[in-house]
Amino acid sequence: MKNCRIGVYICMCGTNIAKIVDVEAVAKFVSGLPNVTLVRTYKYMCSNPGQEMIVQDIKENQLNRVVVAACSPSMHERTFRSALRTAGLNQYLFEMANIREQCSWVHDDTKEATEKAMAMTLAAIWKVELHEPLESMTVDMSPNVLVIGGGIAGMTAALELADAGHSVHLVEKNEQLGGNIARVDLTAPYLYSARDLLTERLTRIRDNKHIKVYFESKVINLSGYIGNFTATIQKQNGKSGTNHDPTEVHIGNVIVCTGYKEFDASRITHYGYGKLPNVITSFELEKMIRAGRIETKEGKIPQYVAIIHCVGSRSQEFHTYCSRVCCMTALKYAHEIKSANPKCYISDVYIDMHAFGKGHEDFYLRSSEAKTLFLMYEKNDRPVIHRAGPKDDCEMLIEVNEKLSGELIEIPADLIVLMVGMESRPDSAEVARLVNISQDKDGWFIESHPKLEPVATTTDGIFIAGTCVAPKDIPDTVAQARAAAARILAKISKGKIEVDAVYSEVNEDICSGCRFCNKLCPYSAIEFNEKEGHSHIISALCKACGVCVAACPSAAIKGRHFTDSQVLSEIDGLTQTIQYVEP
Amino acid sequence: MSIRVNPRFINDLVLFGAEDVQLCYHCGDCSTVCPHADEVYKFPRKSMRQLQMGLERKIETTLEPWLCYYCGQCSEQCPREAAPGETMMSLRRWLISRYDFTGIAKQFFKSRMTEVITIICFALLTGVFLLYYGYSMGNFHIYDGEGAFLSSSFIHEFDLTLGSLLLIFLAINAFRMWYFTMIKGTKIPVPWWLYLKELYLLPWHFFTQKRYSECESKRDPKIFMPWIIHLGLMLGYVIMLVLVMVFIERLQSGPAIQWQVHIFGYIATIGLVTGTIYFIRSRLNKTYEQYKKSHGTDWVFVVLLFFIVLTGIAQHIFHRTGLYELANITYIAHLMCVVPWLLRMPFSKWAHLVYRPLAMYFAAIRRDAITSRESLLKSNSVSIK
Repeated sequence: MKNCRIGVYICMCGTNIAKIVDVEAVAKFVSGLPNVTLVRTYKYMCSNPGQEMIVQDIKENQLNRVVVAACSPSMHERTFRSALRTAGLNQYLFEMANIREQCSWVHDDTKEATEKAMAMTLAAIWKVELHEPLESMTVDMSPNVLVIGGGIAGMTAALELADAGHSVHLVEKNEQLGGNIARVDLTAPYLYSARDLLTERLTRIRDNKHIKVYFESKVINLSGYIGNFTATIQKQNGKSGTNHDPTEVHIGNVIVCTGYKEFDASRITHYGYGKLPNVITSFELEKMIRAGRIETKEGKIPQYVAIIHCVGSRSQEFHTYCSRVCCMTALKYAHEIKSANPKCYISDVYIDMHAFGKGHEDFYLRSSEAKTLFLMYEKNDRPVIHRAGPKDDCEMLIEVNEKLSGELIEIPADLIVLMVGMESRPDSAEVARLVNISQDKDGWFIESHPKLEPVATTTDGIFIAGTCVAPKDIPDTVAQARAAAARILAKISKGKIEVDAVYSEVNEDICSGCRFCNKLCPYSAIEFNEKEGHSHIISALCKACGVCVAACPSAAIKGRHFTDSQVLSEIDGLTQTIQYVEP
Repeated sequence: MSIRVNPRFINDLVLFGAEDVQLCYHCGDCSTVCPHADEVYKFPRKSMRQLQMGLERKIETTLEPWLCYYCGQCSEQCPREAAPGETMMSLRRWLISRYDFTGIAKQFFKSRMTEVITIICFALLTGVFLLYYGYSMGNFHIYDGEGAFLSSSFIHEFDLTLGSLLLIFLAINAFRMWYFTMIKGTKIPVPWWLYLKELYLLPWHFFTQKRYSECESKRDPKIFMPWIIHLGLMLGYVIMLVLVMVFIERLQSGPAIQWQVHIFGYIATIGLVTGTIYFIRSRLNKTYEQYKKSHGTDWVFVVLLFFIVLTGIAQHIFHRTGLYELANITYIAHLMCVVPWLLRMPFSKWAHLVYRPLAMYFAAIRRDAITSRESLLKSNSVSIK
C-alpha cells in the first residue's frame, strides 16, 4: 500500500502487559516495518494523555492509519475510534491488537509471549493498511410503537408513550384488557384493590386518542428494522366466525408484554387437583373471593384452609425457579380468608418464605400475628393429600414431613389452595420467532443484559417488559414497562438512528439468487428481491456476523471492514515466524 | 404414624400466658443463647414449635419446660419478640394443669374469678369454723397453754389433715407426670437401676437450684440476684413448712419458745419476707425479662404468700408482747390465708416445687438411657459391604 502512514502504539497497561511482554522489543520490531511512520510505547494508552498523544501524532505527522496494541477491542475500541474522529481521521482507519487478554494474561513465558505480541501487532498493521474509510448511515425513526399484550405492563407502556404524544398500537389477544391482574382481588402487601389499579388505566386508555386497541387480535407478521417496522395485525375469528382483513401498521419500536401463564396443578398428581373437589388453585380462590363467598364445593364455609406453596416452582421436576409473587399472595389469602371468616384456621405449608420486597417482611409478621400456622416442608418431599375419615372433623388431611419440628404430621383441611407458580406462555416461542428474540431454558424472553439492559433485547427496536421476561410482581412489571417506554421515547426524540457502517452487502451482479444466506442469517436481515432475483441485506438489521459471507457459494457477499483481503492479510501477519532474543 | 396438627391449641394457651408464640419463625436464636439447651433437650425453639402446631400429646410427654428456669436471655435475643421465655413459662402452667387429674388447676389458670372466689370461700369457711371451734373449746383471752383459744394440739391435727390431703393430690399428680414423661414419652427402655443411680439429683436440685445459677454461665454481667432470692424464698418456705407441720406445739408453746425453733423461725421469716417483697417489686417494676409479664396466678401466688407472712409476723409480735386477743385474731387471719394457700398448692404454680426437681431427675435418667442405647447400637453395629 502506498501513501500509508501508520502510527503504532504499544500499551503496557500498567504492568498487565509489560510484565510478560517485552513491549520495547515489540516497538523495535514494528519500527522497522514498511509504512510504519511512528511507534510509541506508553503506560496507559486509554488514559487521557494516551489519547491526546494519538490525536497530536495524527496531526503533526500526517498519520492516516492507527494501530493500538493493548486490550480487547470490546473494552476500548470506542475510545480510540473517538480519538481518531477528534483528529479528523475516519474512525474505521484503526485496528486493535489484543495483546492483553489474548497474550500477556494467558502466557507466562516472555519469549513466546513477546513473539506472539509481535505477530499480533504485525497482523493488525497488515490489516489496517487495507482499511477503507466508511461512513455510518442514519435512518428515520418512526414514532409509532407496537405494544403486544394488554396486561398491566402493556397498558402502562402504552399510556406512557401516548402521553408523550406518540401513536400506540396495543394488541390484545382477549376481548378485554387487564391480563392476569383482572383475575385478582386485592394485591399484596398493601392490600390495594387490583380492580382500582386497572380501572384508572382502562379509562385513560379509552379516552386517549393516541392509543388504538386491537381486541382479540394477534400480530401475525413483523418485518423491517428498528425505526421502520411493518406489523401485520389480524383480528382472530371470534364468536362471529367472520374473517377479518389483516391491518398493516408502520412502527418504529415494539414492546413485548405477553405475560405469563399459571402452572397446571394437575401435573402434580399427589395433590389430587382435578380429582379432589376441594383442592383448588390460587386463581380459583381469587374467583371465590371476588364473588364474595369462600366455600367448599358442597357450599359449606371451610373451617380449616390449607395453603400449599411452590406448586410447580422450585423443583427439579417442574420449574427450578421461584415465581416470586406466590409467597406474599398466600399471605394475602390468609388475610382475606380470615377477614371473611375469623373462626377459620389457616395452615400455610411452605418451603421458604420469600419476603424480599418493600413491605413484605412486615406483611409476613402481620400474618404471624393473626396466628396463621406456618408449616415447612422439604423441597423434594412434597405434601400428600388424603381424604379424611368419617370420624374426622375435616374433609381432607395433608400428610407432610414438617421440617421445623422433624415430625411427620397431618394437617386438617376442608379447602386446599395450591399456589401455582408462573410459567412462560405456550405461545411464547411463536412470539419470540415473530419479533426475533431469544428464550431461555424455561421459555422466558432473554434481555440484552440481565443487569444493565433489563428491557432491551439483542434485536434493536424490540423491548420486553413484565412477566414474559421472568416472574415478577406488579411494581417490578410496571417499572419495566415504563423503562421500556422511556428507552423508546429517547430514541424517538432523536428522530433518526445511526446504523453502524460495518455490515455485509451483496454484490447484486454476482448473486445467483440461491437464497442460502436468507435462511442462515440469525438476525433476519436478508430479504429476497423476487423481481430482480437476488438477495438484499438490510444494513440496519445486519450485525456483521459474517455467516452469509462465508456461506455464499458465489462469493457475492462482502463483509464491510472484514473483506477477504483484509482478513487474509491479517492471517498472513499472524503466521509470520518472528524471533525474539531475550536481552 | 403421623401426628395430627391442632391449630386451636395456640388459642387455648393464651389463657396460660402464651401470647406471642405465633410470632416465632424458628431462627433458633433462643436455643443458641440458652445455656441449658443441648443435643438431647432442645429448647425453647422445639417447644415453641410443638406449641404452634398444637402437638398436645407430644408436649405432655416433654420435660423441656421444666429444664428452663426462665432467665429471660432467649426473650431478649428474639428478633421477632415472640417471648420464648414466657412461652416456656406458659407451657409449665399448662403442664401443671395436665398433671392435675381433677381439672381444678385448669380452671384456676383459665379464670382469675374462679380462683379468687374459691380462695375467698375457703378463707371464710376457715374463719367461721375456727371462730366456732375457738369459742366452743377455748378462751378468746388465752393464746397458748391450757385453755388456749386455738390449742396447738388442735392446730397440729388440723395441719396434718391438710398436709395429708395435699400429699395425696401431689403424689397422684407426680405419678401422672412420671407416667406421661417416662412411660409415654420415653420410647426407649429405661433400666430400673438408672432411677437409683440418679436419685441423688432430687435433693441436689431441690436444695441448691444449681441449674438456676448456671443460667448465667454465658451472660455478662451475670445476674445472680433472682436465683439467690428464689433459693432463699424456697428454703424459708420449706423450713417454715417443717416447723408448722412438725414442731407446731413447740412453736406455740407459751413464752418459752425453744431457741432452736426460734432461730429457724427467724431464718425462714427472713427468706420469706425478702423473697415476697423482692418478687412483688420486680413484677411491679418489670426489672428483668422474667418479671415483665405476670400471669394472674403469679400475682395470686405472691400476694397470698405476702399476706401469710404479714399475718404470721403480726401474730408473733402480739404473742410476744402479750396482746393475746390480737394474737388470736391475727392467728385466725393467718390461717384464713394458709388454708386456701395449702389447698391451692397442687393446682398452682407452687407445684413446681415438686415437679421441677422431679423433671431434672427424670431428664437425667432419660439422657442416660439415650446415651447408653446409642453406645450399645454403635458397638453392635454391623457394617454391610
